[in-house]
Amino acid sequence: MSLSLASSDTAKPGRRRRIGRTPAFAYAAVAPTLLIVCAVVGIPLAYSVYLSLNSTNPITKKWIFVGLNNYVTVLTSPDLWWAIARTAYFAGFAVVGTTILGTILALVLNQRFPGRGLLRSVVLVPWAMAPVSVGVLWSFVFAGNYGTLNALLTDLGLASWATPWLGNGFRALNLVALTHVWNQAPLTALMVLAGLQSMPGNLHKAAMLDGAGPVARFFKITLPWLKPNLLFISIIATINALMAFDILWIMTRGGPGSATTVFAWLGYVYSFQFFKFGEGAAMLYVLTILSFLLAIFYFVVLGPRRVRAAEDRPLPSSSLEGTLKRRAMAIIPPLPRRWHLPRHVARPLGKTLFFLLAVVIFIWSALPVLSLVLMSISPAGDLIRTPPSIVPSTLTFDNFRAVLMPQVGTGGSSVQAQRVPYSLLNSFLVGAAVSLICVVLGTFAGYAFARYEKLRFFKYSLWALLLTRMTPALTLVLPFFIMFRTVNLIDTRTALIISYCSFLLPLSAWMMKSYIEGVPKSLDRAALIDGCSRFKMMWTILIPVVRPGIIAALIFCFLASWNEFLMALILTSTPNSQTIPVVLSGFLSQAQFYEYGPMFAASVLSILPPVLIAFVFQRYLVQGALSGAVKG
Amino acid sequence: MTSINIRAVAKTYGNFPVLKGLDLDIADGEFVSFLGPSGCGKSTLLFCIAGLEDITSGSILMDGRDISELDPRDRNIALVFQDYALYPHMKVKDNMAFALRQQKVAEATIQQQVAWASELLGLEQFLERMPAELSGGQRQRVAVGRAIVRNPAALLMDEPLSNLDAALRVRMRTEIKRLQRELKITVIFVTHDQEEAMVLSDRIAVMHGGVLQQFDEPMTVYRQPANRFVASFIGSPQMNFLPGSMVGGHGGGRLVGIRPHDLSPADGAGGESVRLEGELALIEPAGPVTFLDVLIGDTIVKATTTDPSAFRPGQRLTLEAPARMICLFDEATGARV
Ligand SMILES: Nc1ncnc2c1ncn2[C@@H]1O[C@H](COP(=O)(O)OP(=O)(O)O)[C@@H](O)[C@H]1O
Ligand SMILES: [Mg+2]
Repeated sequence: MSLSLASSDTAKPGRRRRIGRTPAFAYAAVAPTLLIVCAVVGIPLAYSVYLSLNSTNPITKKWIFVGLNNYVTVLTSPDLWWAIARTAYFAGFAVVGTTILGTILALVLNQRFPGRGLLRSVVLVPWAMAPVSVGVLWSFVFAGNYGTLNALLTDLGLASWATPWLGNGFRALNLVALTHVWNQAPLTALMVLAGLQSMPGNLHKAAMLDGAGPVARFFKITLPWLKPNLLFISIIATINALMAFDILWIMTRGGPGSATTVFAWLGYVYSFQFFKFGEGAAMLYVLTILSFLLAIFYFVVLGPRRVRAAEDRPLPSSSLEGTLKRRAMAIIPPLPRRWHLPRHVARPLGKTLFFLLAVVIFIWSALPVLSLVLMSISPAGDLIRTPPSIVPSTLTFDNFRAVLMPQVGTGGSSVQAQRVPYSLLNSFLVGAAVSLICVVLGTFAGYAFARYEKLRFFKYSLWALLLTRMTPALTLVLPFFIMFRTVNLIDTRTALIISYCSFLLPLSAWMMKSYIEGVPKSLDRAALIDGCSRFKMMWTILIPVVRPGIIAALIFCFLASWNEFLMALILTSTPNSQTIPVVLSGFLSQAQFYEYGPMFAASVLSILPPVLIAFVFQRYLVQGALSGAVKG
Repeated sequence: MTSINIRAVAKTYGNFPVLKGLDLDIADGEFVSFLGPSGCGKSTLLFCIAGLEDITSGSILMDGRDISELDPRDRNIALVFQDYALYPHMKVKDNMAFALRQQKVAEATIQQQVAWASELLGLEQFLERMPAELSGGQRQRVAVGRAIVRNPAALLMDEPLSNLDAALRVRMRTEIKRLQRELKITVIFVTHDQEEAMVLSDRIAVMHGGVLQQFDEPMTVYRQPANRFVASFIGSPQMNFLPGSMVGGHGGGRLVGIRPHDLSPADGAGGESVRLEGELALIEPAGPVTFLDVLIGDTIVKATTTDPSAFRPGQRLTLEAPARMICLFDEATGARV
């Protein structure tokens, strides 16, 4: 027997080596993703290192190697340290705010109640809409003379409280941070909700029987369960706060004075207003390093903790089996009598309080958006009424007509309004193309990462992909700008698609990896045994099974692309490629009050697709948050 | 210490009735099993007793006091969950101490009590571990330890052994029985495994579709099943059912039930017996006994023998069962007559 086995081994030498070998398919599946990420993240990062070591003379346009001089200049400038202090305050405010608010939102949305699906969708809206639209909305809520908040106060007879809210430096910083919290809390809520849903239901029941009330259960059971999620969530929130840029651009542009000049804004100003590319790059590199340090902190503190596997040793015998004398039982005092409301009072009371909380959440999420809609259907003249009022004098679709049918309204619509329809189309085309590319490539990469995570090559390249999540877009956009200008791609949709891959490809690969991990390996094996090639197995078996994940990844990518502002702002300059956030921001630069009506209409149009997505695909979004590494 | 009376308890989820008016009186210190197929409402009834689910109507009394309106934490009832529900972030000792800490018992008392329970269950060497570092059997024991540590008025268990392998299951059920004897505590034990219920219980409550079918001692349930459902659910292999017309003496409208263990090849011994003739279809050795599948008319009847050597498939065979061992059921209602 052994002889014939040995001979069959030597007869087919190729067969043995196949066993346990990583299939070339796995490498082929990750190759496109890794190559593209290398090209769109690695090369720009390297290039910005080079930039940061040089200085340009704005007049002669000559590059001079200056070594670490830029870093020295930047690090010794008091501007930078003030900006760091403001950034720390902003980030602290944002992280604490989003975590607390997001947790409350998630706790409410995790309960069963009629209308939960609707409330979940409504809560998602502030996050689904573009930060630029968020900025437009809130800057008009807080605006000086005619702002919505002041108008509301006037309507309520509290005109004396009205004030230019963003006029005071410290208050402006707080209000911008609050706006950021309003925008970001739903993301935290999504991730906390995912954590809550993974919690075994019996845990709370066990704690109830053990005598823990709702408050004790929250602190002793729920919170410890969420701890790993919450730490991860706060890292994401910190990074999103460090990189917050869009709402600053719209709301305060670093002012008043320099009261809201945070790190990201300072880097932007150095690079794109002072055109000190070298110093700007150095500054943004400091920001990148800060983010990376946070990322490393994440891996060290939260990296998968090894739990000693439960050994299957035989159980020790319990003393029940022996006859030895045993320890005595303690005398436990009888259960303390607790005072509590009778159930028939407590139940309705609890329900009423919960209902009130749900209403408050609804108002918090929906009211600002509804006020934006109201402004968009009010005549522009209403915005400068004295005294201000939130009640429109009349309702009109003129603003929408101005942006949607610019040719018809003779003379009515401005240059900027005429750009809106085409920018919507640009946004849609870029979003559709980049989501499709990223999700297709990300699915294959996700498969290889999910199935071969143990192999060193895949493990390290997955880490590298995650690190790109910590790279601020500002760091990349400067090299992109210079590189695209060199190859004549500046101001094209292609440039946007390429640069968006830098953050969407890692995101979709990561999301798809999480989904595919949830599919049992035996499914692959069954398909392979049934004679599928690996590619066919993915196509006919795996992709249909992970379709919800693919839909979620498509949605996240499309939303992130639709809402992206910074890269589009720098890389586009004409209506040929400008996306809707850029056109919206353009309205503000013109600063003519009669332009504001069309601007609100354009804002409403810009949030329409995200809001529709929040309502139609709410369930996919909640699922998608499970994969954690979600783009802000 | 604790008697539990369940009075006309009904429970609906939306419009779906899960419990349809159950009455049960459980005596102090009794070991009672709720037995029934999956989905019949056993866990729901258990959770209602513990206060984790509200009952739609009826009442639950403990020691004569109505507890239906009490919060779970005021009932002093402990529950061992099917998935154990150990707090994943607490060491074993903290899991066990949790309930006492919630009651603000003195720390010294807690330590003494945890030491007592862990010694009783042989858990001393695991006290410093996290639940994730335990094997299934160890987790199960910790769950029991956590339940008894606060000296509850009643101990409820929801299929506590169903996640263990067969050998461990048999061992743990003996341990649970010993524990109950030792602590003299009222235990309600939910299971879908009829053998477990038979071995452990003082009395078994057989449930089906949210209705109590029978509540009696194990051997009574086995020998005098209240109806056809109980008869077929208890005992393995299942009881044989034959139309009354096929078995001598019983008219139409009756169903005759004979347990395989009571039916064996005729050896001509005396005594009043029921006889059946058929063709041997299959021989299934099962260790101590061998099962014989015999084709009678067009129904397969299972019988047992201890000595299968004389039989070959295909041969004709006469089976007999002692007449006092057979059960008669009304064919229409299923009730025993
Ligand atoms: N929260 C719930 N909502 C609706 N139906 C439920 C709920 N919990 C249980 N049920 C239904 O009640 C029936 C009984 O469930 P259960 O008591 O868990 O059965 P078992 O006897 O297997 O423990 C099942 O049909 C189940 O589908
Ligand atoms: Mg159950």
